[in-house]
Amino acid sequence: MRAAVIFALFVAGIWSSLALGVQAVGLDDMIGAVLHAAPQTPAELVFMQIRLPRMATGLLAGAAFAMAGVVMQSLTRNPLADPGLLGVNAGAAASVVLAALLTGHTDAATQALWGFPGAMIAAVTIFALGGGLRGDRAPVRLILAGVALNALILSALTALIVLRSDALEVFRFWMAGTLAQGGQKPLVVLAFIVMCGGAIAILLAPALEALALGHGLARGLGLRPRRTQAGALIALTLMTAAGVAAAGPIAFLGLIVPPLARHLAGPQLRTQIAAGALLGPAVLLLADTAGRLLIAPAEIRVGVMTAIIGGPVFIWLARRMRTTRNGAP
Amino acid sequence: MSKSPKPAGLQTHHLCLGYDGRDVIADLSLELPVGKVSAILGPNGCGKSTLLHALARLERPRAGRVLLEGDDIHATDTRALARRLAILPQAPLAPPGISVGDLVRRGRAPWRGVLQRFSQADAAACAAALEAVDMTALRDRDLDALSGGQRQRAWIALTLAQTAPFLLLDEPTTWLDLPHQIEILRLLQRLNRTQGVSVVSVLHDLNLAARFCDHLVLFGPHGLVATGTPRAVLSEDNLRTAFGLDARVVACPVSGAPMVCPI
Amino acid sequence: MSRLRAALIAALIALVCVLSLMIGAVHIGPCDLWRGLIDNEGPAAFTVRVLRAPRLLCALGAGAALGLSGTIFQMLLRNPLAAPDVMGFNAGAGFAVIVAISTGVNWPMPLVAAMGGGVAAVLVAALSYRRGRMPDNLTLILVGLGVGFSASGLSTLLGLRLPDTLAAEAQRWITGSLSARSWTHVAQIWGLGAVLCAMLVVQVRGLGLLQLGPALAAGLGLHLGRSRAGLLATAVLLAACGVAVAGPVPFVALMAGPLGIAITRARGPAARLLAGAGSGALITAAADLLARALWLGVQLPVGVMTGLLGAPYLLWFLSRAAKEGTL
Repeated sequence: MRAAVIFALFVAGIWSSLALGVQAVGLDDMIGAVLHAAPQTPAELVFMQIRLPRMATGLLAGAAFAMAGVVMQSLTRNPLADPGLLGVNAGAAASVVLAALLTGHTDAATQALWGFPGAMIAAVTIFALGGGLRGDRAPVRLILAGVALNALILSALTALIVLRSDALEVFRFWMAGTLAQGGQKPLVVLAFIVMCGGAIAILLAPALEALALGHGLARGLGLRPRRTQAGALIALTLMTAAGVAAAGPIAFLGLIVPPLARHLAGPQLRTQIAAGALLGPAVLLLADTAGRLLIAPAEIRVGVMTAIIGGPVFIWLARRMRTTRNGAP
Repeated sequence: MSKSPKPAGLQTHHLCLGYDGRDVIADLSLELPVGKVSAILGPNGCGKSTLLHALARLERPRAGRVLLEGDDIHATDTRALARRLAILPQAPLAPPGISVGDLVRRGRAPWRGVLQRFSQADAAACAAALEAVDMTALRDRDLDALSGGQRQRAWIALTLAQTAPFLLLDEPTTWLDLPHQIEILRLLQRLNRTQGVSVVSVLHDLNLAARFCDHLVLFGPHGLVATGTPRAVLSEDNLRTAFGLDARVVACPVSGAPMVCPI
Repeated sequence: MSRLRAALIAALIALVCVLSLMIGAVHIGPCDLWRGLIDNEGPAAFTVRVLRAPRLLCALGAGAALGLSGTIFQMLLRNPLAAPDVMGFNAGAGFAVIVAISTGVNWPMPLVAAMGGGVAAVLVAALSYRRGRMPDNLTLILVGLGVGFSASGLSTLLGLRLPDTLAAEAQRWITGSLSARSWTHVAQIWGLGAVLCAMLVVQVRGLGLLQLGPALAAGLGLHLGRSRAGLLATAVLLAACGVAVAGPVPFVALMAGPLGIAITRARGPAARLLAGAGSGALITAAADLLARALWLGVQLPVGVMTGLLGAPYLLWFLSRAAKEGTL
């Protein structure tokens, strides 16, 4: 039953992304577009040139950010830990921009790869500041460290962009996410990277669950906490950086999806990660479609849409979180 | 003399206290005498601190009244009341980096108008308060740098600077080691004897209470058990009712006060 | 000692003021500065009197208001992380202004900002409320962060929809900027700031008592509810005034109190508030100077510069908290 809900949401997300918009695209147009070598109607053209790449980008980025969110929350034992809020997205974006400025390479494939070192540095920094290395749990410290890291990177990026006003358009992509430019990205390579990250995460899931019981107990169960943490950080870095490369920094998806996944897929981390891979694209594509329809023919960037949905979700989660002095922080 | 002399001391009339519809203290009428050192005793959870808070208008009664010299304290202006009644809560908060002198000055708040400057009278009251607790030499020290006993004396000096004739203290000896507990209780006794301050404190240690207090109020799990002199209150029957404790009560070889020896 | 250290802040402010008036797209020497400022003649008169002086005074006023507001919050909630910028009030005020601009409502900006800040404060309080319990500080901070996220998300949305002519204006209400400030804004921030400071003077002693904990404060004859509400309202209004002039400049309110108190070693509540106001003014004016002078020909919004200064401070603070095991 719950699996059916997950699949229904997934299909609804994909269908809305493909079919809805200024130019309505019906099922026959989609089939036609796939069958015909060259598009024969405007609807088929829109489908092949705009909707399909956009949907594929959303599929990839949604799965990436959502799975990274599930892993991050499990790793930090913090229901508010979203890679975007914690600055990992911003780290990826900043290192892409820096590399582009320094090396002058602007082709999409090279750019995409440059995201990884930045995302890795940001992820490790935030994890250490949140007390993760010693296994203590400091939810408020973690979130505030994320706020600070985000603010730092964002200010630096803004400064760079103001200084290099010639490059404004190129860089705007790296400030707020959108699915509209996915067609220019090496989506196949990025999808492969996301799958690698997801596979690592799913393999590590039982160890992560044991780690959530505390380092002492995890050791007693024969685990090596450091290795598990390093593996999880690598997995979420791979996924986040690939997601940012495809769609730019989109925050809050890793916050919205995990509670949904927990609710619909049950307590097992492995199933949660798998559910995240379906629910992430569903939420992202629905938000993107809403952003395209709300003020058509103009559109709201999907990063802004997720931020608007994510703020209230954050408050709701913060209210539910126990912040007693001895327990959590 | 007027026709109906004002009743002295701090009284409760049919007082009911509690939270969430549950009475911690029900229909309590008692009097805390003026000019004496009194202690409120009883097992944990019997409502000692709640009662003390109600006596200091920090807790609103569900029913009944608290009278200070005949005036209902919840109907008295809170600043005017602060000049007649001081309270030291169990865990007051120390602003970071505050000195003893600055802390004591804040005790003059009820005597100063909003824009009134710190007057000579205020300064004199603070100096007297510091002198009374023997802290004059430490007035410029940081509160954080003091020992537990000295810190507690600084807090007591703050309430003394209030120059209220009634002083309530919520477990003033908790967290202190035995010599410091005795130091604080001696201090309270001395303040009572030399300055006539009426002292009411919540205490845990029965023997210390018997030794240093003139008037005891003993609570049990089901309300008031006894009030009166230590000798009258600390009887073997009363101890059984209040604490479920089998004990012999003997005379203290040093002071002759009753001493509780659990069996 | 303390007086000498207070003088240090004043001297730093004076230095930043002089440099701010001298440095810019057109460099002005000390002589020209004097003639332009005092005698209103010479080549520098226009630049100094019309462009730089109002901008500087706005920076000082808004910075002082934000610093004061943050210091009040930090003392009242006894938490160095409690500041109107962290708790979403600044973002709320900025959002209200951007709503007013995009709907064409022509009310005075401080009023709009105050309403936005007030609504955000009420929201934070209401959303942190649990039946029968005082919300703890950490819940307040988290909920405040969430309110701030929501408000800045919505601000971004509205900002993107503004026509390009208003884009710079939109930028101001999202990141904070001091460009194009006139003497009207100076009058606004200093006038309202003076009124609010007068309100604060009456409440300082209450703040000092509240620091001793609610029970002792009440025992000393303070009306807890009334004085808490008064102080919170003053702090929210101060923050809103600052935002109305400079936008939701991040981290000034957070940094000002601890920095000012560390420099002056102020102890009493009044001295601490003064230190917070002074260092708020110093941080904002210095950040604006850096933002204008670091790269010639380019003006960064002041909010970007306070972000670059403030974020490392917050990270440093958090790593120290991690070491000490607090928070």
